[in-house]
Amino acid sequence: MKITVSINLGGYSFNIDEDAYGELKRYMKNLELNFATEESASEILSDIEARMSELFRAKLTPYKQVITLEDVRSVISVMGTPEDISDEEGTSAREKFASAGYHRMYRDPDRRIIGGVCAGMGAYWNIEPLIIWIIFLALILAGGLGIVVYLILYVVLPEAKTTAQKIEMKGEPVNIHNIKESVKKEFNTVTRKMKL
Amino acid sequence: MDLENTKAQMRKGILEYCILSVISRNSCYASDIIKELKEAKVIVVEGTLYPLLTRQKNAGLLSYRWEESQQGPPRKYYELTPEGKEYLADLDNSWDELVESVDLIRKR
Repeated sequence: MKITVSINLGGYSFNIDEDAYGELKRYMKNLELNFATEESASEILSDIEARMSELFRAKLTPYKQVITLEDVRSVISVMGTPEDISDEEGTSAREKFASAGYHRMYRDPDRRIIGGVCAGMGAYWNIEPLIIWIIFLALILAGGLGIVVYLILYVVLPEAKTTAQKIEMKGEPVNIHNIKESVKKEFNTVTRKMKL
Repeated sequence: MDLENTKAQMRKGILEYCILSVISRNSCYASDIIKELKEAKVIVVEGTLYPLLTRQKNAGLLSYRWEESQQGPPRKYYELTPEGKEYLADLDNSWDELVESVDLIRKR
């Protein structure tokens, strides 16, 4: 016996096993992240949902009415993981985010204590927000400067609302591709300097 | 040089060209396009098609209309805009030229 979940995919209602639901949800989240920088991300995602709903419907019979983990895996392999899609398109999502311009400071609503300023700074510099919070507290106790700085930052920094903004806030996690790129850049600067 | 990257770049242009070609014959919905592209082995995973279709639509090469279907929800039927037809004609020419050029070099 298994628990099933009821979902709406492309306007159709499906009963889906709990473990299959987890897998599907993870997949949809990854796709969303992959298309986050795209102009019409929601349109692409709803087209994909419509197609997935078509593929799932083909897997159901009067004697099999629940989507299983196996079904989800098979549909994912037909649609392709975000990596497969990027490879085939000739663009990589990682490349899109790798440029320095995509690292911006935001207020982080997910880990906020008051307005998310400290959490956002923590996400930007990759340090524990609590440490920044303690520094602010110390500044406030030392004469109130902390309050002024906090209020200015609160007004100046936008809140990270969309997935794309949340990625921008954290910058790019370290991966082989980035390391390769930064080494290449370093090498180019050195060779340029040698010529001078 | 990165072989995988070179291959991906080649495929990218060809895939866009093939999508326009398929749609130019008659208006069709995404699953029809996928079927043809899969048969011709220019596409491996289906997810690749949707961002491309949306980008071509945003670029004004395609338009779509909703059509009722007997087997399910309404479907998006894509067709080429006049601009898309011109674009495709250009691509047809440059494809022929490319094939000729490459053949000429390879057969020397």
